[in-house]
Amino acid sequence: MARQKRTTVGVTGAGGYLGGAVSSLLREKGYDVVEYRRSAGEDEMGLPVRKLELGAPIEPHVFDGVRSLVLAAWDLTETNSAKSWERNVEGSKRIVAAARAAGVSRIVFVSSMSAYYGTHQNYGLMKLAVERAVLEADQIVVRPGLVYGGTPGGMTLTLSRLAQLPVIPVFRGANLFTAHVDDVVGALATLAVGRDAASGVVGLANAAPVPFKAIMRAVGDAVGSSARTMDIPWRPLLLLLQTLEKVGVPLPVRSDSLLGLVRPAREVPGQDLAASLGLAFRPFPDGLEESFESK
Amino acid sequence: MKVLIIGAGPAAAGAALALSADPDVVVRVIDVGGRLEPDNDAARLRMAATEPAQWSPSDVRIVSQVAQRTEESPLPEKRNFGSDFPFHDFGQLAGVSGEGTVNTHVVSGAYGGFSNTWGAQTMVYSAASFNDWPFPRSELEADYRAILSQIPYAAEQDDLAEYHPLWGDADNLPSLSENSQMILDAYRRHRVQVRRHGVIIGKARLALRGAACVSCGLCMTGCPYSYVYSASQTFDQLIADKKITYEGGYVALRLGENDDGPFVDTRNVATGEIETMRADKILVACGAIGTTRLVGSSLDVFAQPIHFQESAQFVMPFASIRAHSAVTQDNSFTLNQFNMLLPFDEAGKDLVQIHGYPYNDAMDDAVPQILKTPAMRTIRATLLKRLTVGLGYLPSWWSPGFDVTLERPASSGDLAPVRVGPSALDTGQSSKRLRQVNARLLRVAPFLGVAPVLPMVSLSAPGKSYHFGGSFPHATNPSGRESDVLGRVDPWRSIHLVDASVFPTVSATTFTLTIMANAHRIARSLLEDRHG
Repeated sequence: MARQKRTTVGVTGAGGYLGGAVSSLLREKGYDVVEYRRSAGEDEMGLPVRKLELGAPIEPHVFDGVRSLVLAAWDLTETNSAKSWERNVEGSKRIVAAARAAGVSRIVFVSSMSAYYGTHQNYGLMKLAVERAVLEADQIVVRPGLVYGGTPGGMTLTLSRLAQLPVIPVFRGANLFTAHVDDVVGALATLAVGRDAASGVVGLANAAPVPFKAIMRAVGDAVGSSARTMDIPWRPLLLLLQTLEKVGVPLPVRSDSLLGLVRPAREVPGQDLAASLGLAFRPFPDGLEESFESK
Repeated sequence: MKVLIIGAGPAAAGAALALSADPDVVVRVIDVGGRLEPDNDAARLRMAATEPAQWSPSDVRIVSQVAQRTEESPLPEKRNFGSDFPFHDFGQLAGVSGEGTVNTHVVSGAYGGFSNTWGAQTMVYSAASFNDWPFPRSELEADYRAILSQIPYAAEQDDLAEYHPLWGDADNLPSLSENSQMILDAYRRHRVQVRRHGVIIGKARLALRGAACVSCGLCMTGCPYSYVYSASQTFDQLIADKKITYEGGYVALRLGENDDGPFVDTRNVATGEIETMRADKILVACGAIGTTRLVGSSLDVFAQPIHFQESAQFVMPFASIRAHSAVTQDNSFTLNQFNMLLPFDEAGKDLVQIHGYPYNDAMDDAVPQILKTPAMRTIRATLLKRLTVGLGYLPSWWSPGFDVTLERPASSGDLAPVRVGPSALDTGQSSKRLRQVNARLLRVAPFLGVAPVLPMVSLSAPGKSYHFGGSFPHATNPSGRESDVLGRVDPWRSIHLVDASVFPTVSATTFTLTIMANAHRIARSLLEDRHG
């Protein structure tokens, strides 16, 4: 591929699923990439990594040479909402402010479809708070849908494990917007380096909602599971999870995640903006099986 | 280039700041020029020269006269250094009348205008507030920053910055009152739960020299040290620096343009003499209603209602579970201390704001008479220790607004009579939205430890918010009574309206900073045009 103008793009959370994938794609496209992780050093390819950790002090000159920044870092390990707010929300806001002050001209914040006006989910509320700071700085917010495909990891891996249970729990009325990882990563790269991206919120997902039951059946087929699905009433389950969390029982699924599943966004935002930039998202389950075949 | 600015309030100050950057521009400012009475000013100056501990009780008594009740609103009318001069009729209120409870003290003749007595809340509009404007906020950013660099500014980075970015360097606020601090601490502890119900809280942002403030408690009646900004401070400085000339004592009667350029006919308040003043450009900054009267009577817009968009005000007392330790305004600053922000959409346009005020002596004065008897002293103190007063604002598109109708003046030397009345466009939206605000605040009450006293929540009378404008709104392709983006109304090309009369909408965010920034933008564009 012909080398394009060497725009330097910073990517936070470069050790993660989306952050890592967008770093690789941008490098393939000929861009210089500065990876940010919790500690400085070298990445798996031996390329230098700069230190930038959510909630930690921001070192001077950390954005030197960076013109565009993809904010993909988010720490899901903290379960205390006040501490998570401080680390993720305040940490992200400080990065946005520092990057703007350092002359970074474009910021693309990776939010979530859980972030929408009226959300009750903690995760969605926190993402929404960072979104506001990004938008007031005239920058770009993206909300990926349920990302599937690629090397099984992240949500794809979680769903494949769920699909291999003897009975697959599903929730009536839970409809999700989906996006293949390649489409999401391609969109992120376009928004990070494209010329015409205006400030706004762009949903990175196919506009057709998919019932969670259909998602689980497709994932089950892809992994060769013949387990049956079972509708679970979510309100008692939510109450149970919340109660167990209050008494400190460690759980494989958080009540907040369940809330995100059963109270999803009703539409994909910014479809006009996405279309104007040529961003397209294949319908589910296109590309799902390949991710398991390649495994 | 010679520029004449009519008015000496915040809009005029914003324009003058921009124009004064060019030494080749000759700036002349005229206004009515009402001043604080000499005795009150002398007391203020004596206090400004000493520490609060040395203040004489008689001087304090003069300058700390609390707000006075009016018929129009449950909110008393403020006094400034013991005077009503920001509201006083120096000739500018001649012929102003109102229907029903409508506020009629709507044009200030004071040097500095209503900024002599404002709440000093200084906040950038959210980006989405400009969705109905013909230009985005980004076109105002440089002007916002320019203004914030020229006025005192106390503000801190907090959740409010998600909607209202903190531009420019700012002092920290002085220490907050116990009640305000309790509310902010509770918000930090329960932030996610409170935000889940659509309430965001942060510290006030004020045109205040926060670092210098001595917390004498007199903010609401006038800061003896002038640490609270007034547009008069800008003019004092520009006059001292010889960057403008200023002449008080004029009432502007009629504007026009002819082959010799723009002109304004004025009347000298003292002599009654009519004088025509000319310049290359005239900027009109008489305050939204003053400007509308001047422009409307110049363009023969008589006997037809002109709709004003107003960000309606509501009064919302809050009662807290915990009491603060003493009922006193001593050792605190008494301006707005925290803001509640209630977003009603995702974009950040449909915002409701509530400014939280700590105890000040006007609250004690406003309690029902029955509680003022010696026998009720303990009960009164118990209540006041739990009281925080919120002044809330709805955006203009949820507010009734009001109509202004001009009548032809009796003679060319008179101002056009102005009748301010309720709007025919009122859809009752404000009551519905206020109920939604109440509901949200009740839901977060258990987390914040403070609840609105619903029976005492009330919408103020039209015109009482002083956040109104939109009589000649900016438009990309103006028609009728619209102005272009430089505030010009057809057929004028060199007369620019620069105050809130040109606002397409009035957000619930307090708007003085945006008025100053927009006036700065228009004036700056004149300089840019001049330099090609």
